[in-house]
Amino acid sequence: MAETIFKPKRKSGPIKFATIGAWSIALLFFLPVAWIFSTAFKPKDSIVVSPPVFIFRPTLDNITEALSFDNTFDYFTHSIVYSFGSVIIAILVSYLAAYSFSRYKPAGTDFLMFLLLSTRFVPAAAFVVPYFQLFNLLKLKDTYIGLIAFYAMFSIPFSVWILKGFLDGISQRFDETGLVYGASRWHIMFKVILPQVKPGLVASFVFNILFVWNEFLFNFQLGGARTFGIPVGLFTGSTKGGAIDWAYVASIGTLYVLPLIIVIYAFQKYLLVGLTFGTVRGEV
Amino acid sequence: MYDIRLENVTKKFGDFTAVDDITFTIPKSSVTVLLGPSGCGKTTLMRMVAGLETPTSGKVFFGEHEVTNVPTKRRNIGMVFQYPVIYRGTSVRKNLELPLLSEKLSKAELDKRIDEVAEILDLTSVLKRQVEELDNGTRQKIAVGREVARQPRIILFDEPITNIDLTSKLELKRSMKELFGRLQQTIVYVTHDQTEAMTLADQIALMQDGVITQSDSPKEIYEKPNSQFAGWFLGNPGMNFVPPEFIKVSGSKITSPLFTQTIDLGSKASSVDTFGVRAEGISVTSSQAKDGVQARVTRKSIGAGGQYLLDLAVGSLLIKARVSHSIGRDAKDSVWTNIASENITFFDKAGKAL
Repeated sequence: MAETIFKPKRKSGPIKFATIGAWSIALLFFLPVAWIFSTAFKPKDSIVVSPPVFIFRPTLDNITEALSFDNTFDYFTHSIVYSFGSVIIAILVSYLAAYSFSRYKPAGTDFLMFLLLSTRFVPAAAFVVPYFQLFNLLKLKDTYIGLIAFYAMFSIPFSVWILKGFLDGISQRFDETGLVYGASRWHIMFKVILPQVKPGLVASFVFNILFVWNEFLFNFQLGGARTFGIPVGLFTGSTKGGAIDWAYVASIGTLYVLPLIIVIYAFQKYLLVGLTFGTVRGEV
Repeated sequence: MYDIRLENVTKKFGDFTAVDDITFTIPKSSVTVLLGPSGCGKTTLMRMVAGLETPTSGKVFFGEHEVTNVPTKRRNIGMVFQYPVIYRGTSVRKNLELPLLSEKLSKAELDKRIDEVAEILDLTSVLKRQVEELDNGTRQKIAVGREVARQPRIILFDEPITNIDLTSKLELKRSMKELFGRLQQTIVYVTHDQTEAMTLADQIALMQDGVITQSDSPKEIYEKPNSQFAGWFLGNPGMNFVPPEFIKVSGSKITSPLFTQTIDLGSKASSVDTFGVRAEGISVTSSQAKDGVQARVTRKSIGAGGQYLLDLAVGSLLIKARVSHSIGRDAKDSVWTNIASENITFFDKAGKAL
C-alpha cells in the first residue's frame, strides 16, 4: 500500500465559515450607513416609528426638501472648496518636504520627522481657543484662506510620512540618471520620481480628504456663515425646528458621503498599494 | 574625446577618508577599470568624476577643462548604475529614446542610434516589449544601451553586472566586451570582480584604502604585481605567499626549500621578506625529477577548462598549484614541484614588490 505523503486535503468548511463571519461583521459595521441611506428615501411618516419599517415606497421628497433650503448648496460648495483646496496644497507641500527628507537627509531627519508628527499628538480641544483668538487677530476667521491654511497644516505631517516611505523605496539612481541626462531637479522631482509614487499621493489624498471632509470642531470655531461646511450645516440644520429632523439628517448625510465613495472607489487600485506605505523596496 | 585627469583628489565623509589624495589620468578612448575590494573608494572616485560627489579637496579635469565644480547635468557624461534604472510602464524602445528626445535629433538619426545599440546589445527582438516583462539582465542592457545611444564623451559604469544572475551575467559581460571594442568613448568601469576587470579593461587601476596602488594593463598587473595586495587580489586563487621562515638569504643569494636553484637578487636581497608565486607558476610532475621538490597532495579539485587545482604541502607549507588536466589526473599522493625564477616575485616587509 502506498504511503500517505501528503496530508489529506482540508475540507472547505472552515474557509466558508470565515467568509460568512467576515461578511456578517462587515454588514454589522455598515448598518448605520444603511440606516441613513434608507431613511433618506423613506416617507416622512415611516421614519421614526416603532417597530421600524423595512419595506416602504421610496421617495425623493426628503432630498428635494433638504436641497431646497437656501444654505444647503452653500454648505456643499464651502466643504468642497476648503477640503480639496487644503488637501491639494498639503500634498504638494508634503511631496516637496518628503523629497527633501528622503534625498538630502538633513541632519536629524528622524527627529524632524518625529517633531512633524508630534503636532498631531495634542488633542484638538486644547488648541481650539488659541486658534480662535489667533484667527480673529489675523482676520482669518470665516475666510477660505484661513481654513485652507489650517487644514493644510493639519494634513501635511501625515502626508510627509506616507510620501517619505514611498520615496525611500525609489532608488536614488533614478535621480542621478536624470542629472546625468542634464535634467533639472524640478524635472526629476515631477517628471521622473512623482509618477512612481502615485499610490502614495493617492493614499495621502484619501486619508486627508476623509479627515478634512468630516472635520467639525475647527470649521465650527474658525469658520462662519461664509465658510461653514456640511458637518456644521448638518449639526445646526438638524435641530432647527426644536426637534431633530431625521429626514434632513439622512438626506444630507446621504449626499455627503457620495463624493467620498466616488473618490475611494476611483482610486481603490492605488489605495491598496498605498496602504503598504511603500514598504516594497526597489533597490537591493 | 577627453582624458580624465584627477589632481590630488581627496574625499572625506566625516572622519572617514574614502579617497586619499589621488593623482591619476584616465586615458581617452580606452577602458579603465577601477578595481578593488568593497570600501576601497572606487565608487566614490567615479562619483566625483560624474559630479555626484564633490571632492573635499583636489581638482578634476576633462581634457583641459576643469570640471571640479561643474554640476553633473552639464558634464555630458553617461552613467550606468549597479541597479538597473529603467522607466516602467514604457516599451524598451521608449526607454532608449527618452533621454534623446531633448536633443532635437532628426527622426532618421534617432532611429539609427536606437537600432544600432539594440543590435549590438541584442535588444532588437524586445524593442517593442514592456520593460516590466524583462529580466534584470535585459533591463541592465537597456540602461547600458540608453547611455551609449546618447553618445556622451565619457561613460561611467558602476558595477553594472553585480546584481545580475549568473547566466545573464556572462552574456552581459560578452555584450559589454563587444560594445567597448566599438566605442570611441572614454570608459570608466568600477568593479570588485577581477575576472570582469581582466576581461574588459585596457588598463586596470587597482585600489586599496582610498589610493590607487597600481595601474597597468591586465596582463602586466597580473604578471608583475607591485604589491602583495595586487598579487592576492588578482587571480583565482590569488598568489601563493611564502613566509620568511622558508626563505634563506645569504649575501645577495636566496634559497628556499620550495625551489632548487639559487637566485641572485643583488643589493635587494637584504630587504626580502616574502615571495609570491602564482598557482600556474608552479610546475608539477608525477615522477621524480632531479631538480624537483617533493610535495604531498592534500586536495585535488577540477576547475574551469578541465585544469586541476592541487593543494600541496611542502613540509609544513601549504601552496596551491594549477596544472593541466593530464598532470592533475595522474597526480597521486606525492608529486615533484619546481618554480622557475621568472615566476617568483619578491616582496619587502611593507608588501612592496622588489
